[in-house]
Amino acid sequence: MARAANPHAMSPSRPGRTRTAPPQMPAQFPTQGRYLTYTLFGSTGILYLLCGFGALRAVWILGEHSPSAWQAFQREYATAPLIALHVVCFAAVIFVGVRFFSLFPKAQPAKIGPAKPPPRAILHAGLYVAWIAVSGGLALIMAGGIF
Amino acid sequence: MRHLLLKLEPVIWLLFGQGIMIGTMLLTAYLAIVGLAIPLGIVPAEALSYDRALHLGASLIGRVVLFALIALPMWKGAHHVRHLSLDMGGLSRDVIVAPMLYGLALLGNVLALVAVVRL
Repeated sequence: MARAANPHAMSPSRPGRTRTAPPQMPAQFPTQGRYLTYTLFGSTGILYLLCGFGALRAVWILGEHSPSAWQAFQREYATAPLIALHVVCFAAVIFVGVRFFSLFPKAQPAKIGPAKPPPRAILHAGLYVAWIAVSGGLALIMAGGIF
Repeated sequence: MRHLLLKLEPVIWLLFGQGIMIGTMLLTAYLAIVGLAIPLGIVPAEALSYDRALHLGASLIGRVVLFALIALPMWKGAHHVRHLSLDMGGLSRDVIVAPMLYGLALLGNVLALVAVVRL
């Protein structure tokens, strides 16, 4: 009969003679050596949350169907603190893209069913092509270049 | 709560992955044009005047893109901040931090849906 697994079910009745050291955080964590990049990558989550809610606010204001509210929103975006915040957010987005798109090909399984995934270099290049195409296309539309 | 979080882990990872992949692609354009180019005068403000912004945003594709632009980065953000909290503060406070962050992302997603529907 099925029941919840007990992770200690297989442990011996008496502890073994081999002692294990308690887990410890690496000395360089969180801001030294390679941990700095890791911590920065995690910290971009705060900026992504901010960007999500910032974009939500923009769409919400657009949905109020008030041209004056939209113009006030655009004027607010032209203030120095918001421009500075957007520079930081933009840098964070580029950082995440570069780091994730280099990680993604390495994280692929050796086989997906009977098929092998494409070589890492092709996957890597494909992600950059998609990034440039999607963001470039959307930027052109928003800037009035097309449509 | 921990059991529920473990059960939801595959869904959260899917949303987190899409948040990084699609969210990054969309946010690059949004921040470049709406956040920087128009405020700095590189692109004229008329490019996203009220009429044009509404015309673009209220189309079916526009609503889908705007929803993805808002919703997916929130999941990326929530999941990454949760793991930052795990790294810095350990597992003990995760029962509070994780539901709070995922709840925030879920609330943001519901509001995003309302926002794109009322365009």
